[in-house]
Amino acid sequence: MIDERHEELAALYALDQLEGDERAQFETALARDPTLQALVRELRAASSALAHTASTIPPATLKERVFASIAAAPHPAGSAQPPTPSHATRPESSGGRRPSLLREFLPWAIAAGFALVAAWTGVRYKSEQSAAVQLRREHALADVALQGVRQQLEAERIVTRRQLQVLDQQVNEANTRLAQARTELERATANLAAATNQTGDRARRLTEAEHQLGLARAAAGDLERQLADRERQAVRLTQRIEALTAAGADITHQLESARNRIAQLTAEMELQRDIADFKITVLASMVKDNPQALAVAVWDPTKKEGVLQVEKLPALRPNQDYQLWVVDPQYPDPVDGGVFNTDPQSSGTRFIFKPRQPVSAVNAFAISRERKGGVAKAEGPIVLLGK
Amino acid sequence: MERIAHGDRAAFAELYERFSGPLYGTALQILREPSEAQDLVHDSFVTLWEKAARFDATRGTVFSWAITLVRNRAIDRVRMRRRRADLLAASAPSDLGLGDDHAFASGADAASTSDEAHAVRAAIASLPAEQQRALELAFFTGLTQEEIARTLHTPLGTVKAWIRRGLLKLRDLLARRP
Repeated sequence: MIDERHEELAALYALDQLEGDERAQFETALARDPTLQALVRELRAASSALAHTASTIPPATLKERVFASIAAAPHPAGSAQPPTPSHATRPESSGGRRPSLLREFLPWAIAAGFALVAAWTGVRYKSEQSAAVQLRREHALADVALQGVRQQLEAERIVTRRQLQVLDQQVNEANTRLAQARTELERATANLAAATNQTGDRARRLTEAEHQLGLARAAAGDLERQLADRERQAVRLTQRIEALTAAGADITHQLESARNRIAQLTAEMELQRDIADFKITVLASMVKDNPQALAVAVWDPTKKEGVLQVEKLPALRPNQDYQLWVVDPQYPDPVDGGVFNTDPQSSGTRFIFKPRQPVSAVNAFAISRERKGGVAKAEGPIVLLGK
Repeated sequence: MERIAHGDRAAFAELYERFSGPLYGTALQILREPSEAQDLVHDSFVTLWEKAARFDATRGTVFSWAITLVRNRAIDRVRMRRRRADLLAASAPSDLGLGDDHAFASGADAASTSDEAHAVRAAIASLPAEQQRALELAFFTGLTQEEIARTLHTPLGTVKAWIRRGLLKLRDLLARRP
């Protein structure tokens, strides 16, 4: 009965999973235990069966290579099995038969012959033996050399494969770089195309800009012409304004004249209106011996003043003056209208008078002869009177 | 094998026909490199031809002997490659093709499926998934027990148990074949 521990070791051993001391100890146990050996055989067969799950038909060239290799290398059994080295070529007896003459020497001859044969055979045997040893050595050396060559080939194959892998990797890297370079080239081409397009666009924009510049210049020319026209118009307008200003001055002057005229006319009209309101009174002589004496008084009620025109009044003594009186019902006594004297040559006079007290209504005018300088209240005789 | 040991090329041709598929498939599965796998299988067949006389039937079948030869050589190469890769500070696992693909399911060439292959696949498919995975890693990669444990994020003892149970069950299943 195998315990679990040994079952486990056997399973691991069958899968070549034991190493070092563990493997050595198990192999020692295995060598002593046929049951364990049988288990290992079974488990190794079971593990080997796993290979069937991966079974893959190799390329036909592999079979050709294998059979070419075994054809080139002689089979060990073939070289080992050939008949043993030649001990068949034993020489025939050396001499011919010499029946009678040599009979007495025959035994010696035979003896000598045997001796010779024995000696020759011994020499030959040793020679063959040493040759066989030599051959075995050579064979062993050849085996070693062959193993060496195989190992070298294997090493070279590994190195070559590694180099191939490196080369493959380099080729892949180069391809990657090439692809990157292509991508960059495509990108650059695209950029160039874009730049060319942009250049075209810029050229078109430049042409367009030049066209617009031309248009702008033409427009500027138009504007300059328009400006010149405007300036000319402005000059004309200025002249016109000056003319109009001058005309305006004339008109102002005319207007002023007209206003003056209107004022004058208004004044005249007012005068005429005032005149209509004027009170004109004729004063008649109250003196019998001088009946031709006459006076006219014109009273302007607006200005509260008047004009007195006197004619043919007798000359006065030096200590006398004529005095005008204005009769207003609001006062009990006539209001003093001022003193005056006549011109000795014309016996008359004319003067503007203004009563000493405010007068609102005039009922009559009277002229009396008073002492020089006049009096506040009439004292002398009335010489002229008018209502 | 005895006929081959005596230089019988016809017998060798017969052996080639029977073994080349699984031997090449195994080499390819381990090496992941067709030309390298072909070189290895070539050398292995030449060795079988030359060393046929040394075959000891008491230690196992001819197929076990041949597959052991191919596996050991392939794993040696993978381990050498990994040592190189380690030296070059490159990551080994991806080189070994230990992706998520399942070697048992994906490794076989449809054209080469034999009855043997069908039977083995059916037997393996009946194993628990973790046992399948452990056996796959142990057989088709150069990983050691410890590396398999790390790869599967599983304690070493568990991995060993999976390998033991899986292989014993596979043995029983294959023994029951008609």
